[in-house]
Amino acid sequence: MIRSGRFAFTALAITLCAAALAAARAQDAPQGDAASGKRIYLREACFTCHGRSGQGGVYRGQAPILAHTALPFDGFKEVVRNPPNDMPAYSEAVLSDKDIDDIYAFIESLPGPRSPKDISILNN
Amino acid sequence: MSKHRHSPPASRRDFLKSAGLVGATAAVTPPVVANSMPPIQSEKLKAALPGPRQIAAEAMPPAYDPVNQTSSGGDFMTDVLNSLGIEYMVINCASSYRGLHEAIVNHGNNKPEIITCVHEDIAVHMAQGYAKIEGKSLAMACHGTVGLQHAAMAMYNAWCDRVPVLVFGGNIMEADKRASGGEWAHSAVDIGEIVREFTKWDDQPASLQHFAESTVRAYKIATTPPMGPVFIALDAELQENPIPDAESLRIPKFEPVIPPQGDSAALAEAAKMLVEARNPLILCDRVARTAAGIANLVDLANTLQCGVIDNAGRMNFPSRHPLNQSFRRALIDQADVILAIEMNDLWGTVNSFSDRIVRQSRPATKPGAKIITLGVRDLYLKSNYQDFGRWQDIDLDIAGDGEASLPALTEAAKHLIDEGRKAAYDARGQKLAAAHLAMVEQAKTDATIGWDASPITTARMCAEVYDQIKDEDWSVVGTAIGLSWPHRLWDFKKRYQWNGVSGGGGVGYNLPASVGAALANKKHSRLTVAFGGDGDFMFNPGTLWTAAHHKIPILYIVHNNRAYHQEYMYLTAMAARHSRGVDRMDIGTTLKEPNIDYATIARGMGVHGEGPITDPKDLRPALARAIAVVKSGEPAVVDVVTDPR
Repeated sequence: MIRSGRFAFTALAITLCAAALAAARAQDAPQGDAASGKRIYLREACFTCHGRSGQGGVYRGQAPILAHTALPFDGFKEVVRNPPNDMPAYSEAVLSDKDIDDIYAFIESLPGPRSPKDISILNN
Repeated sequence: MSKHRHSPPASRRDFLKSAGLVGATAAVTPPVVANSMPPIQSEKLKAALPGPRQIAAEAMPPAYDPVNQTSSGGDFMTDVLNSLGIEYMVINCASSYRGLHEAIVNHGNNKPEIITCVHEDIAVHMAQGYAKIEGKSLAMACHGTVGLQHAAMAMYNAWCDRVPVLVFGGNIMEADKRASGGEWAHSAVDIGEIVREFTKWDDQPASLQHFAESTVRAYKIATTPPMGPVFIALDAELQENPIPDAESLRIPKFEPVIPPQGDSAALAEAAKMLVEARNPLILCDRVARTAAGIANLVDLANTLQCGVIDNAGRMNFPSRHPLNQSFRRALIDQADVILAIEMNDLWGTVNSFSDRIVRQSRPATKPGAKIITLGVRDLYLKSNYQDFGRWQDIDLDIAGDGEASLPALTEAAKHLIDEGRKAAYDARGQKLAAAHLAMVEQAKTDATIGWDASPITTARMCAEVYDQIKDEDWSVVGTAIGLSWPHRLWDFKKRYQWNGVSGGGGVGYNLPASVGAALANKKHSRLTVAFGGDGDFMFNPGTLWTAAHHKIPILYIVHNNRAYHQEYMYLTAMAARHSRGVDRMDIGTTLKEPNIDYATIARGMGVHGEGPITDPKDLRPALARAIAVVKSGEPAVVDVVTDPR
């Protein structure tokens, strides 16, 4: 349930950040544990804004898609620790560096979007 | 169910009436009474003789205490309501307006048709949803101080949403006419005071002629832009007692106000600014009252070849129109002239605001951008409740009804557009059209993520619903998923295909307002669809009984994320801000353990129920069964266990 019925489709700085950093996707991301990352992602309520499938959602504005993220690890970690918008900032007391490694591994492992042409009812 | 709203059995009113009835019976049937009396005991004859006061009292004629009447104030009140063309009276029955209730049923032959609701919040929200589809108000009646306080929350939503609702509340004005107990607790000297801060007008008529004139006046005020709820107190004596002077009563003529068009010179100035702008932009929210309003807005956008960002307080602008840029808010930052029409929250639309430890805001517009406003919202504001929002600087502020003013504005713009501008306009329009197309394609791509997941994504849920209703004459009248997938992907173009949101954000709106809208759609044979949240559902589940009882067809999809999800996210943000654990934020924010089975609740109310559906593959057949029920004229609920957003 939501208490606000207003559009929540503002393009937030995090989205811009993702676009800007996409080209520099890190090859040196730490080797996190995706299974552990999934547990943390669900336990620590990442899913509440970004969806269990990393499909994105709405908080106070658009919560960006994380499935098969294009963000480099360093950019992702920076957003988690010090977000530029209304996303909560997760300090080390809440999420350890290892937790972030694992979450990153999990969202990287999520399948990204498919071609909508493969789903007939999306082409009405 | 006993509501304990009536007086105790031995109340003064009932006692006097029953005493009067016995007296009358005794007067007309003395032989029977005499024959039934037991033999007089000889001792009684020795009793003291009556004194002079007793003799005087017995010699007096009995107090005037008739037991039947041939006319009723409620009959006249019913005639007044019918003179306004009011189709329905939504009520939760109560003694303080029993006179009017009975008159509607018998004198009016149930016209306006009584719609039985199990809570006043449901009744007013139904009226709000109905008005936004049908374009006129129905009537609602509630019970004195207690019923009106139940109704107040929904009246506040209607106030914030600028929707006309005609609310009546029973009251007993004369203190000596109130029975002890309930009738005192349910009466007030100034009952309208309870809701005065969020109604446009109220009155407490003291005579039937006063009632007639005030009711017609109230209806006119409610339906004149800026619209809003109104309240009329119904004195019980006035409703119930005989009409003393029927020949002197007159029902006033109702003639709707023609909404005001903005000043011609100001509209010409606005047209000049828009035509000369490099990147003009239209913002809109509650513009279209009729189909003509949509057509007029399309005409203006086509004339200017500019983008339109629709906040969708009403169905204003077709979702698939190439100039619809509602999901490209960055355009606000690029505009040099912004025309804001009938906006509810202009400041919130042209500024960004951060919900961080230090709350800050900044303009979303570029420096030097000019803002023109056209609308009537600010012509009627009140002080206490702060729904008017933050002050926004304006460069040209035109008081005038948006829909009524658009043709003159567009004509003025057309006269100013010469051939030299057309090439630039066409190029601008083509660029916007391409961006719109890309936006739609992106939405389709985004919708595929988690397509087969369980819980089901909201994108999948909406796509499955649209696939089965797209060829029907559909009307979406509620949302619990923001204005996301349907507005991104569906083809909204008719006025009744969307009717906005709650207005005040008072939870409990969605289910009853959707059923109210479905009531309006019923006679037009439209397929009404709504997406409602689980938390909202639990505020007013009894709405479903009304839908079943009155056979109001609606497909109600429960977006069941098993939480007050917005609050879940807010609580998580608080914990993160305080660097404390965020793993227990489900405490007080979720609706699980046990999970609520909405389909079972629906069936318990006599409504077809499907679900809970957790596998997306089960959605299609469940929706097909539910839609078949709806098309047969009955309501149906489909409980879809969903991912949060």
